[in-house]
Amino acid sequence: MKKFILFLTFLVLVLVPVTNVIAAVGEKGVIELDFWSWRTEDIKAYQKFISEFNKEYPNIHINFTAYRNTEYNTILATALQGGMGPDIIQLRAYGGMEPLANAGFLLPLDDKIPELENFPEYVLEGATSRRDGKIYGVPFAVQHVLVLYNKRLFNELHLETPKTWEEFLNTAEKIKNAGYIPFANGTKDAWTLETLFGGVAPTFYGGDEFYEAVVSGEKTFESEEMKRALEKILELRPYLPRNYTGVGYTDMQIMFAQEMAVMWVAGSYEIGTIKQMNPAVEIGAFIVPGETEDTPAYSSIYVDGSYGINADCKYIEEATKFIRFTASQKFGQMFTDELAQISAVPGVEPTDKALREVVNVANPTPFMMLTAFRYGEPSGSTLLQNELQALMAGTQNIETTLRKIQQGIATWYEPFKK
Amino acid sequence: MTKKILVVLNYMFLTILAVISIYPIFIMFISSFKTTPEIFFNPFNLPKKWNFQNFIKVWNEANFKVYFLNSVLITISSLIILLFCASLAAYALAKFNFKFNNLVFMIFLAGIMIPIRLGIVPLFILMRDLNLLDTRLSLIFTYSASGMPMSVFLFTGFFKTIPSELSDAARVDGCNEFQIFYKIMLPLVRPALATVALVNFVPWWNDFFFPLLFIRSDSLKTIQLGMTIFFGQYMTDWASLFAGMVIASIPMIILYLLMSKQFISGLTAGAVKG
Amino acid sequence: MKKWIQKHPYLFFLLPGVILYGLFMIYPLVSALGYSFFSWDGFIRKEFIGFENFRKVLREYPYKEKFWKALGHNAKFFLTTFILQTTIGLYIAIQLNKEKPVMEFFQAVYFLTYTLSMVVVGFLWLLLLNPNWGAVSQFLSLIGLEKWVAPWLGQESTALNTIILINFWRWFGYPVLVFKAGLQSIPQELNEAAIVDGANKWHLFRYITLPLLKPTIIMVTILTFIWDFNAFELVFVMQGSSGNPHYSTDLLATFFYRTAFGDPTTGAAGGNIGVASAIAVVMLIIIGFASYFGIRIMQKSEIEY
Repeated sequence: MKKFILFLTFLVLVLVPVTNVIAAVGEKGVIELDFWSWRTEDIKAYQKFISEFNKEYPNIHINFTAYRNTEYNTILATALQGGMGPDIIQLRAYGGMEPLANAGFLLPLDDKIPELENFPEYVLEGATSRRDGKIYGVPFAVQHVLVLYNKRLFNELHLETPKTWEEFLNTAEKIKNAGYIPFANGTKDAWTLETLFGGVAPTFYGGDEFYEAVVSGEKTFESEEMKRALEKILELRPYLPRNYTGVGYTDMQIMFAQEMAVMWVAGSYEIGTIKQMNPAVEIGAFIVPGETEDTPAYSSIYVDGSYGINADCKYIEEATKFIRFTASQKFGQMFTDELAQISAVPGVEPTDKALREVVNVANPTPFMMLTAFRYGEPSGSTLLQNELQALMAGTQNIETTLRKIQQGIATWYEPFKK
Repeated sequence: MTKKILVVLNYMFLTILAVISIYPIFIMFISSFKTTPEIFFNPFNLPKKWNFQNFIKVWNEANFKVYFLNSVLITISSLIILLFCASLAAYALAKFNFKFNNLVFMIFLAGIMIPIRLGIVPLFILMRDLNLLDTRLSLIFTYSASGMPMSVFLFTGFFKTIPSELSDAARVDGCNEFQIFYKIMLPLVRPALATVALVNFVPWWNDFFFPLLFIRSDSLKTIQLGMTIFFGQYMTDWASLFAGMVIASIPMIILYLLMSKQFISGLTAGAVKG
Repeated sequence: MKKWIQKHPYLFFLLPGVILYGLFMIYPLVSALGYSFFSWDGFIRKEFIGFENFRKVLREYPYKEKFWKALGHNAKFFLTTFILQTTIGLYIAIQLNKEKPVMEFFQAVYFLTYTLSMVVVGFLWLLLLNPNWGAVSQFLSLIGLEKWVAPWLGQESTALNTIILINFWRWFGYPVLVFKAGLQSIPQELNEAAIVDGANKWHLFRYITLPLLKPTIIMVTILTFIWDFNAFELVFVMQGSSGNPHYSTDLLATFFYRTAFGDPTTGAAGGNIGVASAIAVVMLIIIGFASYFGIRIMQKSEIEY
């Protein structure tokens, strides 16, 4: 029995993880900074960025840790509340960042990072708190939502990028008749419906003008503009994959990457993934056209997130050095080259051809729910995603869909409460 | 004549059910040796070539060897702690008369009916305060605590069947209470040890809920949690996915095939009054 | 002191178990109740607000709708499983109780699925039921029933039923096993005596087997209830934490998880701990009541023989 107890004690001791005790003692003059992120798939790239940073500042060591995307928010919030947060924080954008800023966990960066002056307003919005108007992070990537298409198949079927909605539907019809799937979009995973909406709707609700009107509370989601936009989305249903209600996100990726589907209303972040799955696919992009050639057409844009500093950070000066580095051209270029994403740093050109095409054709208006209506519960995204799922499945009509969205947001969004 | 038809129909029914039970598992196995296009276009054929490439990839690249080891370590440690605590407690409840004996037993028993998951929020905060989040210990404690009710119940039943004369005789021989337990009682309830171990092993190995909430570091993930991460990353690589599923399932299947008797007695012990 | 210890040796035997069980099981379950009476900011407890969280869950938009819907789904989950296992499951158990070697084989096969984890089961069926390249749809096409192929998991009308059946696929070996053990504990003489009295097979089942098996059936039903009112993994793995499509597979446990820990794909901030704890307490009450009454009924139905 004694042996047994000894063994047990031994076992417990062995299992107590040493990892929790991070030895902060290093070589003399070396400063250790913790950097948390949700990009588990980008660990190698970040290591590269950090070693580039260390060429200039060899005495600042940065420990990059990536947590799972789905748990990052909880983990970060918990750590910050317990006073155990990291020094440098990868922040979500808009409503995902604001509660942290308002709770005083983040350091305002307005006067610390001169490079921010060059960033366009709409990019900085993703890292700005609406309450105090201060900037809390350096945005790292922007995403466009529009139509991606397969250039080789377009050539093979003698198609051109459509200029009007009618042409758009005709193109889809021709693709269908040729035996391909016109759009890879399915509706099994609710979140992909917000993307579909972001790619198609802005052209029909009228871009920025309507966006501003809804944000200010002048118009509601039950207005004619929204109805028209949803009607147009429904017109795409015949061109979605067979049994599209059962088609999930990965199925969409497979369909587009394996050249079964020709077009895909999707985010620019897909380009990197598709290239990995099938390097042979040549991807082009266009935005959903309006009724006539003269109607202004839009795509959606949003900021993915930003890098910020913990207000409790002991080495603010050093952390600032790193954050300034992330705002530099050099970092932006590395970022887009390594990760096949569009860098938020102004003046950085993506080297990837498809990404360049996205940037060139885009006529961006803010990605509505993500940028403006994720500041409360139920969030505009929750409502849009799930209600649109029912609309696309045909179990709910447009009026009910919009009424539910409006009703949900109105419970917390002040301008709707009047 | 009609009787014969009925017998045939009966066997047909049993056979169809057996096929429904086992065929998906069979598909999982053969698919894990195929290539992804082969799975898409020939889902029912045997693999053209039995290759272990998928397994090697999943084991090394997708870190399954780490996940697997964590699962083994966590289930076994939980088991040791559980067997230790539960057998001692049950012995006290079965062999000693004291004031709150019945009450303590009832409190243990109540846990059979109440799933520990419902206390997940306080448990999460407790783990945070004990600085146990993202450690294997968080899972080990949770599992061994949740195994207590059933194990105490089973052990108590066993201890009660052991006649008191045995311990009385030992006491006369000068054994102390602990020696009596260790030298006389424990060897006698060895079959119960196996039953308790098996009853708990399966749900722990298969658990996904607690690792999902407690574990963050890749190096500490269990196989079930690792699977979900892996599914997110390799979702389009069906061959690897099937290989991953096989790796996660095979230990329990083997355990069941080797020890089905103990399995059955363990699982029915709690549910059938006997 | 030493004397006192010698007088109460059982305390040492009890101590490790009581500490373990008390700290990691009783304490969290009891504090869940306490948590539900407070308002929370993330994981920090604020002030006492009485039954406000419960009112929110049961009476206020948007929790109310989700709660009752999820509760209905759990009820359907349980009822369907219950009906299937006490008809098909019981029938199978009676067949397996015949002493033939082939029955051993059948039993081993039926029980095999029970050893798989819910995560594996969920992913396996997610791949098998894929409407475009899953094995099930390919099988249906192969035998000329292509029309039957449907996005089972993507339609509101079929998604929940599909999940329930998949769960049953994995689960049903367990009730069969327990029923069979129950059948074996029925003394053979009773049956023989009845046959001598001229009873036919149906009478045997109706008047001897069924009454004697009743406690076992009730026990399995209670366990099924507890399990089904806690179901989480299948829906989480296959349909996401909001129970796609359009909440049609949302269960109490997924609703609870979303409320407590959030869902980053919708920007839903996690950590409404007060409301989440209230949901947990309601679940606790439902399960507690069901178990209590189940056990009472079982005790009444026990026949001495």
